[in-house]
Amino acid sequence: MQRQSRIAVSLAAALLLAVPLSYAAAKKEAIKEETPVRQKIFNAETFKLDNGLEIVVIPNHRAPVITHMVWYKVGAADEDHGVSGVAHFLEHLMFKGSQGLKPGEFSEKIRSLGGNDNAFTGQDYTAYHQSISVDQLETVMKMEAGRMRGLNPPLEQVVSENKVILEERRQRTDNDPRARFAEQLNAALYINHPYGNPIIGWADEMAALTWDKCKAFYDRWYGPNNAILVVSGDVTGQQVYDLAKKIYGPLKPVPLPERVRAAVPPLEASVTVRLEDETVHQALVQKAFIVPSYHQNAKESLALQVLEELMGGGPTSRLYKALVVEQKIATSAGLSYQGSMWSDGDLDLYASPLPGQKPEDVVTALDEQIRLLIKNGIPEAELSEALTRMQAEAVYARDSLSGPAMIFGYSLASGSTIDDVEYWQYNIAAVTANDILAVAKKYLDPDNAQKRPPVTGYLLPKEKPPETALSAPAEKAAP
Amino acid sequence: MRIMPALLILFIAFPAHARDKVLDIEQVTSPGGIKAWLVEDHSVPVIAMQFGFRGVGGALDPVDKQGLSRMLSNTLDEGAGELDSQTFQKELRDLSIGLSFGSDRDDFSGSLKTLSQNKKRAFELTALALTKPRFDEEPVKRMREANQSRIRSSLTDPDWMTARIMNDRAFEGHVYSQNSGGSLSSLEKISPEDLRAFHKNNIGKNNLVVAVSGDMTKEELATTLDNIFGDLPDVKPPAQAPDIALQNAGKVFVFKQDIPQTIVEMMQPGIDRHHPDYQLAQVMNFVLGSSGFGSRLTEEIREKRGLTYGIYSYFIDMKHFDGLQVSTSTETKNTAEMISLVKVEWEKMKNEPISEQELQDAKSYLIGSLPLGLTSTDDIAGLLLSLQMDEMPVDYLEQREDKIKNATAADVQRVAKELLDSNKMITVLTGNPENIAGSVPIEKLPNVE
Repeated sequence: MQRQSRIAVSLAAALLLAVPLSYAAAKKEAIKEETPVRQKIFNAETFKLDNGLEIVVIPNHRAPVITHMVWYKVGAADEDHGVSGVAHFLEHLMFKGSQGLKPGEFSEKIRSLGGNDNAFTGQDYTAYHQSISVDQLETVMKMEAGRMRGLNPPLEQVVSENKVILEERRQRTDNDPRARFAEQLNAALYINHPYGNPIIGWADEMAALTWDKCKAFYDRWYGPNNAILVVSGDVTGQQVYDLAKKIYGPLKPVPLPERVRAAVPPLEASVTVRLEDETVHQALVQKAFIVPSYHQNAKESLALQVLEELMGGGPTSRLYKALVVEQKIATSAGLSYQGSMWSDGDLDLYASPLPGQKPEDVVTALDEQIRLLIKNGIPEAELSEALTRMQAEAVYARDSLSGPAMIFGYSLASGSTIDDVEYWQYNIAAVTANDILAVAKKYLDPDNAQKRPPVTGYLLPKEKPPETALSAPAEKAAP
Repeated sequence: MRIMPALLILFIAFPAHARDKVLDIEQVTSPGGIKAWLVEDHSVPVIAMQFGFRGVGGALDPVDKQGLSRMLSNTLDEGAGELDSQTFQKELRDLSIGLSFGSDRDDFSGSLKTLSQNKKRAFELTALALTKPRFDEEPVKRMREANQSRIRSSLTDPDWMTARIMNDRAFEGHVYSQNSGGSLSSLEKISPEDLRAFHKNNIGKNNLVVAVSGDMTKEELATTLDNIFGDLPDVKPPAQAPDIALQNAGKVFVFKQDIPQTIVEMMQPGIDRHHPDYQLAQVMNFVLGSSGFGSRLTEEIREKRGLTYGIYSYFIDMKHFDGLQVSTSTETKNTAEMISLVKVEWEKMKNEPISEQELQDAKSYLIGSLPLGLTSTDDIAGLLLSLQMDEMPVDYLEQREDKIKNATAADVQRVAKELLDSNKMITVLTGNPENIAGSVPIEKLPNVE
């Protein structure tokens, strides 16, 4: 069973290909001339309407179906201080009545035409998507265009949907100590930066959201000149362009504010986040770093992507091999990098300690692997194997209808260009061992003070002296 | 003008080329007699192969070694032949070969995904894993600890706890009540010898089912089947568990947890996938609760009242049991209201025929949405495998389409009357609900320690 998920809390996990984003567009002409035979991954076609709407079409003729997505270049990080959750609440209200559609009718109509639809909100973008038979493309476009400027939910719908988002928060976050831990660790990492707020919002601020606040956000950010239309499936670029021009073309552009991301200031103190909870029976340790996103620094981001593959990519990666197979102090260990952000990216080292292991020792063992990397470097064979594996990801990414649409959507919405996506495999292949060692030293070296120190997190069982940990909930259940 | 939407829907539901096959499934038999279903697609140089062994699931686990079948699925790709665990995994990884195994209560399955350029080695490694697994001490211990860690992590997951209790109470006295993922102590007892014996006794050519999609021809598949599976022995068919009727029907169980929401699971008897009314039941359930937005449960409980983020009803298809289940969660104080609202929808579905609009919407969706789930080689191979595991005919998808097309509101109401019975529901609540009349407390999670 799948639950409706209208929020991309952990987007990386849902994606096929850890693709980048950057504004290294200036380089593309030169690169094209040098190597004219380079193959694109997806062969997407791109257009732009006079009103500013960007269009990406990824033809895929396997089945007579399409995925139609509209990505708005606005997300939770664009909210004003004190109204956290408004971007996500607005996303829910987009289904509650718009030009020509009654509350709830959007999704009902898509279902009745044999399609699926949903939406999700991230820190930097909000996306609405439908998958449906190709002969319904025009209908779907009309519906989506109708709510780009014509949202008008009745007030009672806003009130009941506010209860729904609070239930969503209870289900996703409040019911789960792991999610509460992740939320607090994130808040401690992104000091003064909007990424420190949860996408879904803080509960009290969510409860205080009104239609006026949503409407102000909608009017400020929703318009054709702040949107990207991505269509993947059994269509040609020309077909999509002609339809889009007819349907989205008449919409007027809106005056757009600048996207602002307050920076994390230089800090000194080392921060530790510790959550102890009676229901936790498996400890988790994590060390989180702020590192560049692709948008901020393409070269360093590419090196961090390869570093992720070397250190954290599966059962033969360095961290798993060292902590789980050889030292036998953890049941899982890895490194994950999220570089698809408009502002700062982040990188996590993590492990699940085996019972009896001191959590602090496991963090030390993670640090030690970074030290070994910096000290001993990367053998040529290990690097070339990692690069070969990453090339294969590009082929697998094509074996999907909605996957490529996702990749283009989040890449463009967080500052990448079409060519950054299409030629990702060549950019990755150019990463050297020195590039990787340089970013490891600059951002992860445990023996060097960082301008923005990492946050170390411990999610731990709460000690309960009289009972064994497992029977604690049962004891509470006795009348 | 009013007739237009209806015509439009009819057009979608009954396309002019309706007699085209939904999927072009080829049946292949190898020179050695191994059968497979294939859907060729050469648009991407990728091959997806999924295979299963019928009747080799958690239902065969001894009570003191629950999780044995799961452990086999975890260790089968951890070293084979001359290759130890790390060498085997490294070769898979370096060639970008996805090879994994899985186990549920009824069956054991494997999944292989490879780039065409690496297929030769991918097939060799798969054959090696199936016929010469090593079960070395080190990876067996590592996988045991990973499973124990998974269980400890799940103890913070109220959905998982609720499902555990539901299985324990609904299938009381039957092997399905066991924890197919193992318990902390049962996993401790599973040795490499147990895995070796379980593998030898159960993984056989005569249990095998194979499905392939992607960059592969019929001729090539025929020889490939013998290369991968030809060395498997025939095994004695595993002893089958008896069928079971729903236990503890009508009872409400409460597992106290200090969380702000209550997790609600309700289950009543369902309908077998081979039953002639199965597709009518699917139409009914689309209207009732499987479709999310637009379904009666979502409209009444989420959209009108804001009581939950999600509510779904869905069929449980197992070899020896069929169920119809509702899953949702709500703020603690609304728990009793939630349960009674679900029952109201149960009665409504029995007492009144669904509207013509609901019927047409359900038909359009159930027929029209099928291709949306068949857009990758994995998706297609997965569907081909599940049809064969359930012993469906090769034209099942066409038969299904016909039955859905011909459904009437009266048919659906007849099935609703025969199937739905809220008095036969077993309910499990995890959280802090109050005012739940006659509820039975659960003191301790069963088969977890």
